[in-house]
Amino acid sequence: MSTANSNWVQKFLSIKRVNGWFAQAIQPFFARLWQHRKTRIFFILALGLPTIIVLVLTVVLPATYAPFDDVTENLNTETSAKAADTVVKETEPIPPDLLQKNAILKSEEAYWQARLKLAKTDAMQLSIDLRDSVVSLDFRGVSIQSTKIHRFRVSRAIKRLQATGRLHPWLVNGFTLQKELATLPKAPIRIKEAPKDTIEANETSGEELEIENSDVHFTWHFDRQLTVLVEQAQTPTFVGRFSKIWYNLRRGSDSAGETLFNLLQLKLPRHRLWIELELPREDAKAIYRALPENAALALRL
Amino acid sequence: MKNSVMENSSDKSHEPLQSSDPESQVDEKPPETAIAKRLNSKFIRKATIISILLGLISAILTLLAAPFLREIAYAVWPHSVSTTTASKSAAKLKREIRSLDGRVSSLRNRFKSFTPREPYLIINTSANKVFLKSGDKILHEGICSTGSYVLLKASGNREWVFVTPRGMFRIQGKRVAPVWTKPDWAFVEEGLPIPPPYSTKRFEPGVLGEYALELGDGYMVHGTLYKRMLGMPVTHGCVRLDDEDLRIVYRKLQLGSKVFIY
Repeated sequence: MSTANSNWVQKFLSIKRVNGWFAQAIQPFFARLWQHRKTRIFFILALGLPTIIVLVLTVVLPATYAPFDDVTENLNTETSAKAADTVVKETEPIPPDLLQKNAILKSEEAYWQARLKLAKTDAMQLSIDLRDSVVSLDFRGVSIQSTKIHRFRVSRAIKRLQATGRLHPWLVNGFTLQKELATLPKAPIRIKEAPKDTIEANETSGEELEIENSDVHFTWHFDRQLTVLVEQAQTPTFVGRFSKIWYNLRRGSDSAGETLFNLLQLKLPRHRLWIELELPREDAKAIYRALPENAALALRL
Repeated sequence: MKNSVMENSSDKSHEPLQSSDPESQVDEKPPETAIAKRLNSKFIRKATIISILLGLISAILTLLAAPFLREIAYAVWPHSVSTTTASKSAAKLKREIRSLDGRVSSLRNRFKSFTPREPYLIINTSANKVFLKSGDKILHEGICSTGSYVLLKASGNREWVFVTPRGMFRIQGKRVAPVWTKPDWAFVEEGLPIPPPYSTKRFEPGVLGEYALELGDGYMVHGTLYKRMLGMPVTHGCVRLDDEDLRIVYRKLQLGSKVFIY
């Protein structure tokens, strides 16, 4: 068996594709590894065990055991009692379109309830209506900008939330912005030193104004595990591609950091329920800059 | 196994071992088994380090991919459905839908009642655009200039940020042929000495256009001499409009009218 394995490894490493520096570097190592039974077992265990542990702790357990406990835990019992979103235990056949209409209306009721609640506050608010594909900026109940969503994607975990009857209480109170990450600055401040005299002032007054042309990609982290990802509908610029890579790396490291933080506190990592929107660049930029810290969001699914 | 190790001429680890090992220098030709043992222990150390490193890398990659893997898990794994709902008949559900429908339209109407019926102004500082609206209807739209986001630093740790404030404002004053009272920063920006508060040097007629609508705290919606800059963020916080747009806005908006800036 060992010889057969060794032959297989030798064959694998001697095929043309892996010839060259790669094969030269790893061929002797793996050939010898296959001859040492204990080392081979240790190698496989050391390679596989950490991955399996991470996989179980960050994927299997969070996806299996009560993944949305804290999504609705702070909501009152009245709204929780209304949690019957989609599934009805049937005593007689109920037409599926009735069930669907019921679910849509409940989602819409939650959306308008949230929007009305937010209208009473004195700050800029955001409303995302995925049913009509519209994002609106509201101030005291007045919709001051409406943007058509080009495309959107929704996390499958939201569908799971719907199936477990927790969608209505999740939506009904609106969400609060907690953290944001973007490829563009929130305020494009430019520092200018005051001129010493009129001659210097005249020299600097003729300077061309730089037109801001940065690509727009940003992430909003709201409470109750909601994340909204906004991408510009336009093709990214050459420079924009690099900033997007950097932005994605930061997003990935943030997510990994959050997972590690939870694990260190002996808690299961929480899965974020995300919504990805594609908006025109200028509208996305205006919305990003208009929304203040701790802004609220009303969502219709 | 030993033989196969010894026969492997491509193993580079053989050479440094011979030269660095003091024992091998004393005995000109050390026993083959000792060399093989040393080679083995060196290989095991190497394999251990490589396997731990690869294991860690693989674990980190799994950690980074965890959100995507969880998404897949939610898509493919079966899940229990809600059983909290009481049994319902089709007739009962229809009644509930009718009641829900009524509640939703009532909520929608209540929300729509927040939108002013009288004319109001919306200013988009990001796109430098202005919209005059009444209810949901756009009466007029045009371009404007808003705050430049310049942070002006002067001697004595004095600094000003030229940003158009965001939020809801009301028209607090309407002026015809307004005269600009130049603030300190206007002199600092031009490299001029700052005159006393009520000096005649501070008053400059004609630069604000035909009309000005006061929003409070010195911010205004007014005209401009620099029409080619319209559509760009170049002001010190005020909102500049083209003459024609300004005329319409001035005529339509009354004292107390709402101005939304975002």
